[in-house]
Amino acid sequence: MAVAVAELGVGIGWRAEIDLTVERLPGVEFVEVIAENLRPDHLPESLRMLRGRGLPVIPHGVGLGVGGAHPPDPARLAHLAACAGALAAPLVSEHLAFVRAGGMEAGHLLPVPRTREALKVVADNVRRAQDALPVPLALENVAALFGWPDDELTDAEFLGELVERTGVLLLIDVANLYTNQVNLGLRAVAALDRLPLEHLAYVHVAGGHEHDGVWHDTHTAGVPDAVLDLLGELCARVRPPGVLLEWDDAYPSDRALAEELGRVRAIVDKSRTGVDGRK
Amino acid sequence: MDDARRRLGAAQEELLSALVAGGEPPEGFDPERLRIQSASLVSKRREVVARLRPDAATAAGGALAAEFAAYARSRERPPPGYRSDADDFAAWLRVRGLMPDPGPHRRWRDLSPGSRWRELLPRFRGWRDRLLRRRDTS
Repeated sequence: MAVAVAELGVGIGWRAEIDLTVERLPGVEFVEVIAENLRPDHLPESLRMLRGRGLPVIPHGVGLGVGGAHPPDPARLAHLAACAGALAAPLVSEHLAFVRAGGMEAGHLLPVPRTREALKVVADNVRRAQDALPVPLALENVAALFGWPDDELTDAEFLGELVERTGVLLLIDVANLYTNQVNLGLRAVAALDRLPLEHLAYVHVAGGHEHDGVWHDTHTAGVPDAVLDLLGELCARVRPPGVLLEWDDAYPSDRALAEELGRVRAIVDKSRTGVDGRK
Repeated sequence: MDDARRRLGAAQEELLSALVAGGEPPEGFDPERLRIQSASLVSKRREVVARLRPDAATAAGGALAAEFAAYARSRERPPPGYRSDADDFAAWLRVRGLMPDPGPHRRWRDLSPGSRWRELLPRFRGWRDRLLRRRDTS
């Protein structure tokens, strides 16, 4: 099935702490902003300026919990919709994760049990989210430190089923695929082979830290070569409409960020050139 | 669908209780991995709290990780949002005598020269950014 996905290019996660840097970095073609930090009626000046230059700005939610047991909160969906409207965004992205249960907040993204029964619930949640949003929704694969004992499907199979049932777009985080490979022994390349990449909206790359044999996807370091290699593997299978660098804290110099974007762009450009040198 | 939602909710609640509220690890999970996930959730909270309340982070200083871990253990479950988590942590430090009480009316002349700078610096950055931006776009 052919899917119309907006062309985005190479981008970086916009954060208030590095707003000036993002405005000035050469080669930034789109940005993503954490939707929960945004007030649609009072957009930061920096984002308005980027929109004025014509850069796509994608609201990226972290708190919807579409993998939760309850239907997604209408107020959170309304907020995402308002963000998309205020930014004239081509799409909204969220995570295949649960973030709360039994009145408790996890404060971060947790993996859902990948059972056929959970799939039914999550697909229903995704459909409800899609109905409430004025633009397409893309779902991101998350990094996990543990697996559920009753998992019946791989992450890629679960996402593939969701795409089939709902037509949801994919935001593939290759750093998260790498994290799951290190921590859970799930082969990242096998995931790329299985995912319906024709539904790809864009890609995340990020760095992290290894601690006692466990990879922590912290978004506070340069992108390791192993993650860039996975980006190359993805690009060998499909031309990604966009690739975005995530950096959340311990910000490096502007020059270092520009170099990171350059490394990402080099991988994307190399795969676009193709083996015979044609563009 | 209702049954599926109920079962999923129960499983997620049991797991989350082990991760953030000191509950027993549910059967079948690797307890060591859950311990790592739990620690990772606490450190994520700590990073956000430190950004929201830099005064609390400064007060805890080098003991921030240990103090925040002790604070997180001391409560039954995390508060519903980061803002209240940050304020609760600051209050917890204050009760333990690790953070001065700001009082309801903090006056400029009562601030030490160091904290005057800390108060001014973000404002200065705001002015600078606005000036730089104006120059860029003119």
